[in-house]
Amino acid sequence: MTDEANKEDMPERESLGVLAEYRSPHELVNAAKSLREDGFTDMEAFSPFPVHGIDEALGIKGSRLPWMVLTSGVFGGVVALWFQWWTNTIDYPYIISGKPFFSLPANIPVTFEFTILMSAFAAFFGMLLLNGLPRLANPLLANERFRKVTNDGFFLLVKPSDKENASSVATAVRDRTAASSVEELTFEKKSERLPRYVGMAAAVLVSVALLPPLMVAKARATTSDKPRFHNFFNMDFQPKFKAQTDSTLFADGRAMRPRVEGTMPRGGLELDSRFYFGVEEPDGLLHTVKQVGQQPDGSNESGPQPNYVKTVPVPVDEEMLSRGRTQFNIHCSACHGKAGYGNGLVSQRAIELEQGTWVPPTSLHSPHLLDQPDGQIFNSITNGVRKMSAYGHQVPPEDRWAIIAYIRALQRSQNASLEDVPEDYRQKLREFN
Amino acid sequence: MSTAAITQSDQAEAYSLSSVFIPPTLLLRGGGVFLLASLAVAGISGTWSRFAHAYLLGLGFCLSISLGALFFVILQHLTNARWSVAVRRLAELLTSALPLLGILFLPIILSLFFGSGQLYEWNNASVVAEDALIQHKQGFLNAPFFALRCLIYFAAWIFMAKFFLSKSIAQDAGDKDATFVMRRYSGPSMIVFALTLNFASFDLFMSLDPHWFSTIYGVYYFAGCNVAFFASLPLIIMFVQSQGVLRKEITVEHFHDIAKLLFGFVFFWTYIAFSQYLLIWYANIPEETGWFAVRQSHGWQAVSLSLIFGHFALPFLCLMSRALRRNKGYIAMWCVFLLVMHAVDLYWLVMPSVSPTDATPKLIDFLCVFGVLSLWLGITLRNLLSHRLLNTGDPRLPLSLAFHNV
Repeated sequence: MTDEANKEDMPERESLGVLAEYRSPHELVNAAKSLREDGFTDMEAFSPFPVHGIDEALGIKGSRLPWMVLTSGVFGGVVALWFQWWTNTIDYPYIISGKPFFSLPANIPVTFEFTILMSAFAAFFGMLLLNGLPRLANPLLANERFRKVTNDGFFLLVKPSDKENASSVATAVRDRTAASSVEELTFEKKSERLPRYVGMAAAVLVSVALLPPLMVAKARATTSDKPRFHNFFNMDFQPKFKAQTDSTLFADGRAMRPRVEGTMPRGGLELDSRFYFGVEEPDGLLHTVKQVGQQPDGSNESGPQPNYVKTVPVPVDEEMLSRGRTQFNIHCSACHGKAGYGNGLVSQRAIELEQGTWVPPTSLHSPHLLDQPDGQIFNSITNGVRKMSAYGHQVPPEDRWAIIAYIRALQRSQNASLEDVPEDYRQKLREFN
Repeated sequence: MSTAAITQSDQAEAYSLSSVFIPPTLLLRGGGVFLLASLAVAGISGTWSRFAHAYLLGLGFCLSISLGALFFVILQHLTNARWSVAVRRLAELLTSALPLLGILFLPIILSLFFGSGQLYEWNNASVVAEDALIQHKQGFLNAPFFALRCLIYFAAWIFMAKFFLSKSIAQDAGDKDATFVMRRYSGPSMIVFALTLNFASFDLFMSLDPHWFSTIYGVYYFAGCNVAFFASLPLIIMFVQSQGVLRKEITVEHFHDIAKLLFGFVFFWTYIAFSQYLLIWYANIPEETGWFAVRQSHGWQAVSLSLIFGHFALPFLCLMSRALRRNKGYIAMWCVFLLVMHAVDLYWLVMPSVSPTDATPKLIDFLCVFGVLSLWLGITLRNLLSHRLLNTGDPRLPLSLAFHNV
């Protein structure tokens, strides 16, 4: 197929440039050099293997790719590190192996890998981008002679600038370089629209891709008499025990293991007996203190009394009292009543239903409670007393002390004198009377 | 430059150093003086244990350069490398001081037979008597077996170094088979090298703390060996070039490749160091963390941090640029810096076992390191003077001379 024949058939053709062939890489480099000296700047060289010095000869500047890779790599490292920091400390703080939430060594591998990944992406896609790839077709490939480029052909494509025309460029190339052949190339300007079959194929692929979700949707909406299919058998049936189940693995038949003797859970070291048990330093072991008040008949007054602390062993302030009020209203007021007179809603209802076993709650303003040391009230909350159940497992010690402080405030409020009222309010009170 | 021209013997004279500004004998004498001074300091102050550790530090430093060079030589034959032929003789000569290091190691071995526990705790009978764990390890850590192993290590290294140097010289003399013989034996040599280096670093350095163990330790020392060697090679090249030899033969392209390898091994060292740290940190088992705990307190944490920044972060970032890697003066600066950091790395490995609560270097450390280094440099320089510095008989030399980074 010659150029003339093509021109007659299809007049709609564009110039691609002048293609010159050289016998050796040396000639190619020299040609590129001398043409560039003549002012041709838009050139491309093609060779079967990398040719030393061709970059300089063509005037190709250093690639921007290393900077793209560096930027992307640094970005990847920063994002990976930040994301781990955010998930570990902000979004889902979780103690792992007793390490701090944000433990840098643990985050290095992911940071490292993501840095490498982003660098590799930048290198690969940046290379494609800078080379103008992917390119579906290159008109040069239509040229018969150009096919030698994968074997022993060294080609230079000189593109004429707007001011020049192809034939004058071809003359210059012939005169100035040792080209073995020079050819003006044109190419047929085809429509840039995608061929119809590409759209068809895409439509078929999309339709086929919809089938699996449709099958899943149908399976979810209908019933089946077949046994369930286990895709991941190991995941559906894991060799593990759930809480509060039995097990044949251990002699006692329990799946949950009791605490190993002589050990203690983290934070379970309750050394401060005043704070944790409401008693002054005990003589014996701490666990004997835990038994205080646990007699089933509730007759803890009959035995020898522990040395209860007289007052709340932590500083009492406004914040603590308001915490105490909140906790009192949550845990205590249902039975004891909001003011502590033992007339809570539960109690009222039980009496209304004439429940025979109901023992009315103690009024917190009864004289024996007014005189009780704070430590004893603490013990009652912790371990329960008579019919009242133990609250130690659901109210932490600092809240128990806050509740006690609030109870003392309640008691004071019910036995207050005028001196307890702030100056501003005394006049108002007198007006009520 | 054609192959015919460089294989002619009269031309070959151009590839030898005639004289250097500093005579090797001066270095050898200087090394002797330094070592005697350190002995005197140890004798006066009674810090024999410190002396033994400092002496091991100096040995370990020179050993790492020579072993890095040996690895490089074996690797070039194993991979049939072409680019490196122009610099291979220099690497071969860097291995030629291994016999000296073997001799210098003899006092350490001899002292073990007299029951000295100054250096190795496991050789101290009174410590062992109260330590069940060391008693358990006595089957491996005892003086005769230790001496035997060291003998094997040094014999293997010296033999391989001599083999590759002598075959390479035979190659220059026209032995056509030498190229293939070296290539054939490079594989087994690499295996022997890997095993000996690994176990030698366990014995020489890891057994300083006989309770502790780390299976990656050998690779860690190997990484340090390579950093030390690839930091030394450019300096040696610049030295011989300053004496008027190999100026045209070793080009910026070779420099560029060595700098790439230096950059790579700086990161490799970091990778291995972190791999060792991460597992121990994560498992958090006292028998493993103790070694790092010592290095994270009493001033040693400053040394540890200096390694992170000086042996990794700074050189890693500063050696990244291609243009800078082709700048000889710039690379030379980083080579000196990395050699210093490698010494700090070895200091960090060795010294906490004698001085766990004080990280500051003592006079005796400098005297020992300079003493051993000076002896090593003297022997290396003597070998540089007595050998042709280019593998003129290597058939791949023209390819190396024309080597060009794409």
